[in-house]
Amino acid sequence: MSVQELLSRFHTAAANPGAQLKQYLAAGEKVVLTAPVYTPEELIHAMGLVPMGAWGADLPLEESKKYFPAFICSIMQSVLELGMRGAYEGVSALVVPSLCDSLKCLGQNWKYAVPSIPFVPMTYPQNRWGQVGEDFTRAGYERVIADLERITGQTLDTKRLVDSIRVYNRHNAAMRRVDEVLANHPEITAAQRSDIFKSAFFVKKEEHTTWVEELISVLEGTAPDMGGHKVMTSGILCDSPALLEIFDSLGLQIVADDVAAESRQYRTDCAEMSDPLAALCDKFTRMDCCSVLYDPDKKRPASIVAQAKARNAKGVVVVLTKFCDPEEFDYPFLKRACDAAGLPVALVEVDRQMNNFAQARTALETFREILS
Amino acid sequence: MRGDRLLYAGIDIGSTTSKCVLLRDGEIVGSTLVDTGIGTGGPEQAFSGALAAAGVRSDEITRCVATGYGRTSWKGADETISELAAHARGSHFLLPSTRTVIDIGGQDAKVIALGPGGRMVNFAMNDKCAAGTGRFLEVMATILRVPIQSLEELAAQAQRPAPISSTCTVFAESEVISQLAAGTPISDVVAGICMSVASRVAALAKRVGIEQEVCMSGGVAQNGGVRRALERALEIPIFYAPQAQMAGALGAALYACHK
Repeated sequence: MSVQELLSRFHTAAANPGAQLKQYLAAGEKVVLTAPVYTPEELIHAMGLVPMGAWGADLPLEESKKYFPAFICSIMQSVLELGMRGAYEGVSALVVPSLCDSLKCLGQNWKYAVPSIPFVPMTYPQNRWGQVGEDFTRAGYERVIADLERITGQTLDTKRLVDSIRVYNRHNAAMRRVDEVLANHPEITAAQRSDIFKSAFFVKKEEHTTWVEELISVLEGTAPDMGGHKVMTSGILCDSPALLEIFDSLGLQIVADDVAAESRQYRTDCAEMSDPLAALCDKFTRMDCCSVLYDPDKKRPASIVAQAKARNAKGVVVVLTKFCDPEEFDYPFLKRACDAAGLPVALVEVDRQMNNFAQARTALETFREILS
Repeated sequence: MRGDRLLYAGIDIGSTTSKCVLLRDGEIVGSTLVDTGIGTGGPEQAFSGALAAAGVRSDEITRCVATGYGRTSWKGADETISELAAHARGSHFLLPSTRTVIDIGGQDAKVIALGPGGRMVNFAMNDKCAAGTGRFLEVMATILRVPIQSLEELAAQAQRPAPISSTCTVFAESEVISQLAAGTPISDVVAGICMSVASRVAALAKRVGIEQEVCMSGGVAQNGGVRRALERALEIPIFYAPQAQMAGALGAALYACHK
């Protein structure tokens, strides 16, 4: 397949999660939705269930306003909106991690707003290190397993969990590698890059890994085009077609990202241990440099600077989801670190019901002028 | 300055006004401001008005650059630049010692940091919200039933400025009505409104980092009440060129000339 054919496959999957869900359900699969930001997908996979990411969609928020105030994360609101509109009907459960206050509200509201789809809480510890942190995380995972066994009738087998961890580690490696390869291929647009990451939430990991490895192989044999202005993105989500079109039309090439829905998902592998559940807990203790993962040392800003420098990015675009307090709290540290490193920063605020991107265009156009 | 007797145009199509500047040999030979912006006949009127003021025809223009929120929808431009780049260039031309530009327009506020030589090095924009903008002042002037041009004079008469604490225009409107109902003099309310705009814009400016000299551009720069409130909020002098409202169009014309 050509590069464009491969990219078209990612786009179709990224743009049509509803069709993908119908296919799974028609094939007799049981689907479990996984809410942002980190959900133990390996457990769900090992139980023979299909995990599908639920990061909401760009749409007007009407029904969900019955449960949420106006000034709260629109990603969460749109997940509830889709649930209330029936977009997820047929799935077995929704797993919601407790990684921010808005997510906690989503879980509580979901129980009443979408009673047809059971809510499964994944309660993570804030202090995730040491034996106490691992024990707390393990208790959270055991609750997820018990709830899913009760709801779906499927059971968790240790041997299958070991296999699932391998599947996910291989996918992580493929995603990290494709991110590196894409940095050298400016002809791949920001929208196409986003499709590769977004489709990973909807396609089974084994299949997605094959797609990504195929793309890497073809790209590695392709001469890259001339590049534009190299930038790094940071934020929770950066998948709006209108926003990505602005990046592309201004010649801003995303050469690295610190986006929760993109590279942050694939940074940490699970170690191979005799107790695979302990290995998953250990993985969570080692995850870091993310706004929803507590870090008293605030290592994230330095890691963003290092990543941007390593990829030769000339600036950082912070795509801030409105009312996302974890990201807002990190922003001053991030800005200060980038300023100190001589990396210009552009701040663009977005939300799931935004339909006018004129201000974002002005900010990015101005940013390009600064980089020129 | 490049260009031998060549004519360059800059047009700034904002949310509430359209401005056009014609440059020849580095001198403004024609300029117009029309009180209608995006989605109206304002841009055409501004353009033809500037041509008439300069006594030239449109086919004499070597290059035309558009800026402002309506820049992409106006068909008469050879090129577009962001309004931040335009205001940076225009303000630096008017006041060459400028290192920070505060541009309060009809629908948003921007702060631009300039490096030596006027190069833009940093910027911040407020959220797409009327508070802290010219639109906020228009809404308040309507509630108070006074012409917007009189806000400066009224603010200067204030004895005890009434603080307007709400950050939202809609809530601030209720607060202003409550102040009037409580018998607060209009001059004190107007001074409070100017302080409210200044407070929001000062916070934005501190995010960018203040480097002196600081100048204001955009339509609200003409309001001395806001300028003085901003000087008090930032504790530094704020410079202002009489042509500040034309800074965007001027910057676009300069860009056309130097391109």
